[in-house]
Amino acid sequence: MAEMWINMGPQHPMTHGLWNLRVKVDGETIVDAVPEVGYLHRGIEKICEGKTYTQIIPITDRLCYGSSMTWSHLYCTTVEDLMGIEVPERAKYIRVVAIEMQRIASHLMWLAAYAGDLGMSVGFTYTMRDREVFVDLLQALTGARLTYNYPRIGGVAHDLPPNFVRDSIRATKYMEKRLKEYEDLFEGSKIFMMRNVGIGVLKRDDAINMGVTGPSLRASGVSYDLRKDRPYEAYGEMDFQVATHKDCDCYARYRVRMDEMWESCRIIRQALEKIPQGKWRIVAPRNAPAGTGFGRVEDPRGEGTMYVVGDGTDKPYRLKVRSPIFVTVSAAPKMLVGYKVADVVAIMGGLDMCIGENDR
Amino acid sequence: MSEGGKASSAGARDIESAPSRIDANPEDRVLRALAESFPKSVSDGEKVRPGLVRAHIDRSDLYPACRMLRDSLGFEHISMISAVEYDNRFEVVYHITSYSTRLVLELIVPTPKDDPTVDSVSAIWGGANWQEREAYDLMGIVFRNHPKLERILLPKDVLYHPLRKDFRG
Repeated sequence: MAEMWINMGPQHPMTHGLWNLRVKVDGETIVDAVPEVGYLHRGIEKICEGKTYTQIIPITDRLCYGSSMTWSHLYCTTVEDLMGIEVPERAKYIRVVAIEMQRIASHLMWLAAYAGDLGMSVGFTYTMRDREVFVDLLQALTGARLTYNYPRIGGVAHDLPPNFVRDSIRATKYMEKRLKEYEDLFEGSKIFMMRNVGIGVLKRDDAINMGVTGPSLRASGVSYDLRKDRPYEAYGEMDFQVATHKDCDCYARYRVRMDEMWESCRIIRQALEKIPQGKWRIVAPRNAPAGTGFGRVEDPRGEGTMYVVGDGTDKPYRLKVRSPIFVTVSAAPKMLVGYKVADVVAIMGGLDMCIGENDR
Repeated sequence: MSEGGKASSAGARDIESAPSRIDANPEDRVLRALAESFPKSVSDGEKVRPGLVRAHIDRSDLYPACRMLRDSLGFEHISMISAVEYDNRFEVVYHITSYSTRLVLELIVPTPKDDPTVDSVSAIWGGANWQEREAYDLMGIVFRNHPKLERILLPKDVLYHPLRKDFRG
């Protein structure tokens, strides 16, 4: 049959955000695919060169609308590495709680979009409703719902609000009940399973070679989680499992994210039980020394990395952001080739694309 | 930095007589392997902190060094490729991760200002492909033997490299 190119995007229900996937099809079968990104490029790295270190925190929030807490936290850890600052113990625990809540909220947003993609509107409404629980908690903690501006260089902006510990523990217990319900809802759905199991296989070697990180890597059977392998903040004190799966397909990626939400609930409870008293912020110097700082965290989408070059002034000389999904989406052709056009939605939806951090 | 490099290379010579201690420490093992395999081009090897090692390498030996890193030392994952412009040089900075030892190697490749060209490592790590395109797009670093060195974030008809310091938007 004659081969032809189809543009899926930039305006397409499959693309959560603004990007274009060109697929070459032979009948219904995909024979080649070229992702095209850059529609949302805002030049954040260049903007940061003209702002002081503190002014950049709210900008890094805008890197990803789904998980802005991890990005501003990553930026703060990177600059702390450059300045040589040690964060107070209490701030480390507060950061862990905030990041894990953000991870649950981000994964729930992914699950909502994914359910919507696969034609389960009820999954969309349920997950978005329960995401509100954690968004409300984050609002109580930070004062904002999506872009928090909460971590600071040298700690966090505020202490925990009143009753936050009680409400958070209650929320995690509620969430665990709901997760059980989601698992029954999704895995009991024949359509959901048919569109996931065995679709979009990304072999272990390909995943490693293409630089895929995060849930997509762990779904290919590689146990690599920076929270466990290079514990930052207070993760070394936490008892949790790294979620992995050996099936390498869309179902494995779904399963890994569900397991991560279970583990996040555990981490939040442990962190709130162990949280020490004390200061939650120290005052950082305005100017950073000349030198470089390097930070990396486990973002909900993979390995987020930043590299900052200081020149002794109060502005960074260069700030480089490594977006996990930017590298993951370059591996998309490996997952797409050989499957049908109808599977594109499941495969690309299962990657949890976030164009804000992808294009920067 | 040169002092730190001398101290660590002297330290590596001291523990040369006790290979078991070197093998127990992945940071030393990587630095020693790099320094012994490419004695002329690797310089300033240092341990920055546990889990992070830094080394400078001349661009002529970048490709063989990266191949050795992946094939013999287990550095399977390229985390990040950054390009930085200084007054007298460009630097391409590779952060390479080993999944077995959880170690990150920060490999710094300086290039002259009038010829920002390095070898592409996308044949070694597929994940380097898009990151090199991004460094070309935004900073104008040319990666030799790259399969498709085109702009990726900016439109194709743009003539400038916006992250350079002489760019005024």
